[in-house]
Amino acid sequence: MRSENLLRSAKVLAASSALGLAAGVASAEDYTRFGIEKDVPGMCSYESIDAKDYSGRELTVITHAIPVIGEPTKLHAEQFSELTGADVEVVHVPFGDLFQRIMIPFQTGQDAYDVLFYASLWLGDYNPYLANVPEEYQSTAGMQGLTDTTRDVGMWGGEMKQYIMDGDRHYLKYREDIFSDPDMQARFEEETGRELTVPETWEEYNEVARVFTGWDWDGDGDPNYGSAEVVKRDDLMFSAFISRAAPYAKHPDVGGGFFFDLETMEPLINNPGWVRGLELFVEAQESFPPGGTNFGLGDEIFSFGGGETLMSYSWDDALIQAQQADSPIRNDVRTQMLPGAREVWNRETGEWDTFEEPNRAAYITWGWTSAVAQSSRNKDMAFDYLCFFSNEANTRHDLQIGRFGVNPYRTSHFDADFWADDLGWDRDMAEQYVETLERIDAYDNRVFDLRVPGVGQFMTSLAAGVAEAVAGQATPQEALDGVAEEWSRTVERIGKDRVREAYANVVEIEDAR
Amino acid sequence: MYRQKHLFLLPGLLVLVAIIIFPLLFTIRVSFSSWDVFQPGLDWIAGANYGRLLEDARYWGALGRLMIMAVGTVLIQYTLGFALALLVWGDLKARRFFRVLFLVPMMTTPVIMSVIWRTVFHESIGPLNGLLQALGLQGVPWLSEPALAFASVMMVEIWQWTPFMFLLLLAGLVSLPREPYLAARIDGAGPIRTFFAVTFPAMAGISIAAILIRLIEASKIMESVYVMTSGGPGTATETSTYYIYIRGLRDFQLGYASALSVTYLVIMIISLTIIAKVLVRLFVKDRT
Amino acid sequence: MKTVYLAIKYLAILLWSSFVLFPFLWAVTTSFKTANGVTGGATWIPWLQYEPSLQGWQSLFGGSGGTDITGPYFNSIIVTGSASLISIVLGTLAAYGLSRFTFKAGFIRNADITFFFISQRIMPPIVLAIPFFLLLRQLGLLDTLAGLILVYIALLLPIAVWVMVDFFNNVPRQLDEMAWLDGCTPMTTFYRVILPNSVPGLIVAGMFCLIFGWNDFFFAFTLTFTDTQLLPVAIVALNSSVTPWWSLSASALISVAPLILLAFVVERFLSRGGLAGAVR
Repeated sequence: MRSENLLRSAKVLAASSALGLAAGVASAEDYTRFGIEKDVPGMCSYESIDAKDYSGRELTVITHAIPVIGEPTKLHAEQFSELTGADVEVVHVPFGDLFQRIMIPFQTGQDAYDVLFYASLWLGDYNPYLANVPEEYQSTAGMQGLTDTTRDVGMWGGEMKQYIMDGDRHYLKYREDIFSDPDMQARFEEETGRELTVPETWEEYNEVARVFTGWDWDGDGDPNYGSAEVVKRDDLMFSAFISRAAPYAKHPDVGGGFFFDLETMEPLINNPGWVRGLELFVEAQESFPPGGTNFGLGDEIFSFGGGETLMSYSWDDALIQAQQADSPIRNDVRTQMLPGAREVWNRETGEWDTFEEPNRAAYITWGWTSAVAQSSRNKDMAFDYLCFFSNEANTRHDLQIGRFGVNPYRTSHFDADFWADDLGWDRDMAEQYVETLERIDAYDNRVFDLRVPGVGQFMTSLAAGVAEAVAGQATPQEALDGVAEEWSRTVERIGKDRVREAYANVVEIEDAR
Repeated sequence: MYRQKHLFLLPGLLVLVAIIIFPLLFTIRVSFSSWDVFQPGLDWIAGANYGRLLEDARYWGALGRLMIMAVGTVLIQYTLGFALALLVWGDLKARRFFRVLFLVPMMTTPVIMSVIWRTVFHESIGPLNGLLQALGLQGVPWLSEPALAFASVMMVEIWQWTPFMFLLLLAGLVSLPREPYLAARIDGAGPIRTFFAVTFPAMAGISIAAILIRLIEASKIMESVYVMTSGGPGTATETSTYYIYIRGLRDFQLGYASALSVTYLVIMIISLTIIAKVLVRLFVKDRT
Repeated sequence: MKTVYLAIKYLAILLWSSFVLFPFLWAVTTSFKTANGVTGGATWIPWLQYEPSLQGWQSLFGGSGGTDITGPYFNSIIVTGSASLISIVLGTLAAYGLSRFTFKAGFIRNADITFFFISQRIMPPIVLAIPFFLLLRQLGLLDTLAGLILVYIALLLPIAVWVMVDFFNNVPRQLDEMAWLDGCTPMTTFYRVILPNSVPGLIVAGMFCLIFGWNDFFFAFTLTFTDTQLLPVAIVALNSSVTPWWSLSASALISVAPLILLAFVVERFLSRGGLAGAVR
């Protein structure tokens, strides 16, 4: 370890001296050598952090694999270290194992990490072990500028537990160049008898995807496909499925729980709305690219972002990939809120209700977040690091680098000028993007993740059931019945009241609008 | 004279016991508790976890798949390893080069090579389907069709561990005495008869050892599944160790996962002992 | 007949060689790609089919988009090396004891003790991850090289015992007996007479220890936090939802390199017939 430290400091020295040379004689106030445009004054600006001295102290950070979130964690850790003299140690963990890597030390009382970057849906399990965000940090401009929805993500039982540094939601991404091509429109109309439009419902989505599967519609010599989705078990597939099922199962007029009936804590996961969502998910396979049923998020990003598929939905990554400067489909992509449903299951009346204007559901799906461990002996330094991580200058920098995975989460980020002027997106695309995000953020019919103790167990059994249906090992109804049964047993094991108490926190936010 | 004998055995034995005893006993103890993500610590729920696992179809399914995969890969590895060893045993151009090459996969880190293999199997931008398409053939759903995914995982295991068989069997071949072969030639036996009459019986002992060791290692199969398929599609490639991993570290049901582990260990020790006895009996009969 | 046989022989060797080499060649070409090169499909030839870039390799040594693997590299060498060495010393001693003397304790005989050693390999790491975590925590050895070495000894000692017991069983007992007649104690017999004749066995045992130690993933993964990452852990940290194939391929190649050198060493002994007694 000693040799590692030596190596590292030698490298930092070399790097900083090289940078210093490049910048000429940098004045004390000039922080552009860190790659930012300019420092933005505030409590955690470069200047303020530079004024602190943490030398001789060690900050330990656990974060996601490189590059998503992991790379900015590392980058800002190195900067923080250079500014304050602190020794910042970062460990990167693949997504599937991040939960347990954080949980084992928590449960065994080991003070392993000061700062944690993780998926916000684990808050139901982690909250007893997290430190509250202190008042003074809550009053920073960055925190004050959070959108309402992202602020809700950080709250637990009225306390701010998570330090928000990312905003996440699923939305639809599609190839505008194909949708607006008259030849394509004609071909679609010929095959289906209706006009080619951006899908308003998941039935339409599947239909469009099917028509555009298996032939070369972009003229590059390789066949193209309709839809790229995250279907690999244990790789966030549950999020994709919930996105698809939500409009069928989340009735805008019915509150009191989406995953469970809050009163009885009976699982709703196998009601007709959910089953319909799964049927459509299973059906969509025929429009996947080869291997599409084993796609993880990375494959989805390469497939849609690489121009192989017509549509996709999930987080921002694939869109950002498509917008890389050297991408062949740059500016050919548009965004829209997720498709909805015209038939929505009303679990109060036990009937399908018909909607003229499709019912949509804004699924605020996990998203990265950060927090400081309650057991940390370096809380001052830890919060300074997080505050520095998400200061205005850094955020502006991080938003521009697709692979960082930092997505808009402050109202100031919902600004078409930023995307159009600074990143060179087509104005019309930037506007539509910002509009999509704003619409989701303000949408009344919302679904949050199941943030209760044992969420991992609920989601792995959901993913296992859905995977069985997708692989044809069970019908959608059978698969979800199996999931419901397992969920009931899990609730039983954890304790009904305990799950209900936690889930009430979620439902309260959902039903507030 | 023999007073010093304990000086040889005890250091190793005691160190191993000291390291292993606590984890082992602790696992057994945890298997009787309800330690879970929301309930850390050791309570006592008697055999509830064991009752639950009896009805856990996914666990028994995973165990069945493990058996098929372990026995299947080891037999293929043995056959291929033996064939390769025979190939580079005799005269061959660049014999030493091929010997080194055939050893290489065993030297590589399974978890890292599995990541490479995952990109090789990638169905739209991976090289395997790329080759097939270049030959004018259809791409193959390597990892997204249950039977093929199972076969793909087996293929990676075979790639990784055939060299192990190859090494042991080649070392055995190299050390075989010459005389029986001369005798066989005088008898006018062809290469096939010579193989079954002379080579194979002489290799019996080493074959048993190699197969057993590989079975032990193969039953722990984990990395390739973990990286390439996550047990999917559906549950098609979910083996016992991966299932225990899901329950223990993903779900964080430590109590239940410990019960699964203890059961798994007992089943494995019993079945490997039986297999060892059967193999010895079969080969010993062959020799007489 | 002879030519047909030769043709089949070389064809088989060629087929297997390409199978062995395939992933390596793919990793080599992938390591020079960028995102566009990867999404462009299964291409092999730089410049012609894709625009090569050194990004993947630079990222290994502190460039962006990758993970710095120099620290983990040293850690892996230290842990694997020390654990292998200790395991071989302890394992050789125990194996000699088990091979030459009779131990009895109740119903337990030599064969049972040997089986006990080997049976440690049956346990999948996943079973022991949490208990080992607690054990190391109690000892204050979590996230230290010493802690990992301790765990790896449990992993490697059984291998050393297995190889060496078989080896010593093939070393003629007359060697020992002659030494005893010369007045050697068992200890001096062991290191004056037996050890010098055991090089092949030690080579094989050492090779297996290095392979299984260097390549272990799950223990290294569970029992460390930030200070003592080992190589496989650092590299797998690149394999998550969004995988940079290029840095991953580069780091995979560089991490398997040292043990491939080992293949050459092993082959030398193998070709000289020197490993004969070691694996029977």
